Amino acid sequence: MSKFSINNLECVRQNNILFKGLSLTMEDGALLQINGANGSGKSSLLQICAGLIQITTGEVLWNNININQQRYEFQSNILYIGHANAIKATLTVEENMTIIHSLTGSKSKINYSAILKKIGMSGMNKIFAYNMSAGQKRRLGLIRLFMAKSKLWFLDEPFNALDKEGKKIIENLIISHCDNGGITIFTTHQRMEINGRPLQSINLGNNNV
Amino acid sequence: MSEYINIFNVILRRDLILAFRDKTDFINSLFFFIIVITLFPLSFGTKSTIVNEIIPGMIWISALLATCLTLETIFRSDFEDGSIEQLTLSRYPLTLLVSAKIFAHWITFGIPLIIISLLMGILLSLSNEIIMALFITLILGTPILSLLGSVMVALTIGLRGGMLLNLLILPLSMPVLIFSTVAIQNAASNQSMIAEVYFLAGILVLTITLAPLATAAALRIRLS
Repeated sequence: MSKFSINNLECVRQNNILFKGLSLTMEDGALLQINGANGSGKSSLLQICAGLIQITTGEVLWNNININQQRYEFQSNILYIGHANAIKATLTVEENMTIIHSLTGSKSKINYSAILKKIGMSGMNKIFAYNMSAGQKRRLGLIRLFMAKSKLWFLDEPFNALDKEGKKIIENLIISHCDNGGITIFTTHQRMEINGRPLQSINLGNNNV
Repeated sequence: MSEYINIFNVILRRDLILAFRDKTDFINSLFFFIIVITLFPLSFGTKSTIVNEIIPGMIWISALLATCLTLETIFRSDFEDGSIEQLTLSRYPLTLLVSAKIFAHWITFGIPLIIISLLMGILLSLSNEIIMALFITLILGTPILSLLGSVMVALTIGLRGGMLLNLLILPLSMPVLIFSTVAIQNAASNQSMIAEVYFLAGILVLTITLAPLATAAALRIRLS
């Protein structure tokens, strides 16, 4: 059983307190949606959780140990997908996938076509990323969800630029991840169809601080 | 251990492919280097005493300026497309990953720079001792520039205003410039240049050890 918790978090940007005193605990299978208006600190909260932003007040715990004391242990358990897709425009789809695969540390051989089929991009193996549409780039960025074996997912606006079918694929993926004991934290402005799974949510914004 | 060597190779190969596919930055600054060097004989004349005294130092200064032009490419595209977040949050030490990126920068820019310097030396009919000294100091000095530069780039990446990077990197590279030019002067007057070469090698070992650590720390600061 793994446990992810945040304790008394505070985030200050440009002398504005975005949120403070934020505490929360999540265990296997938990699904958390972060809501809030533009600029309310959703992305900052995700980045704090993933350890990208160092905080002065509060702490982020993984299995009851502060993540700063076990950085690589924590980082081999997480998958963070930010606003940017983190794919290289001048590399082909396959080359991008090879790098993603190597960074996950997996030793198994990679079956490009099977993974591309799952995300609805069959036959695009040799296409350069600069030739793809925004939605296709987003799908390629999200392909990490299929390739990483991480327990803890941090997804920042995963449905941006995706069409209906793409959104469905990612929703199903998130649900099956949680069914298998994974933990997902995500931000979105869109409606999620999650068929009866318990969904925790935090609302960020001036009214709720 | 083999896992670490493997990921080092992956990142190295990735950056080499990226540099090869988008080579305008490197080609432009190499041309800048060539043109600046050819300006000196035009303004100072081509008497062999002047050429042998001034040109090696000028080649070094031009190398320094040309390096400044390319340093930003180490992290710019990774910063813009979010790859740097993925590298920072990967299961591998960031220090190792940035080492691979710095090494890739030296291969794509440092090595061509050394080769062009030697060719320019022959073209300007420098003496053999000076060309040899130029070669030794460049091969020790250019990696130092890439390493020091990477720390400064990591600190300033994403800040608009490219001059800041140059203001930080030029003073830091003074020791390299001083030891290199003194070594070349000694070689020109047929004296031993072993002391300066040891100093350069020492600085190189120091920067190889510390610069990747500092770069990784600086990147983490820039991201938060």
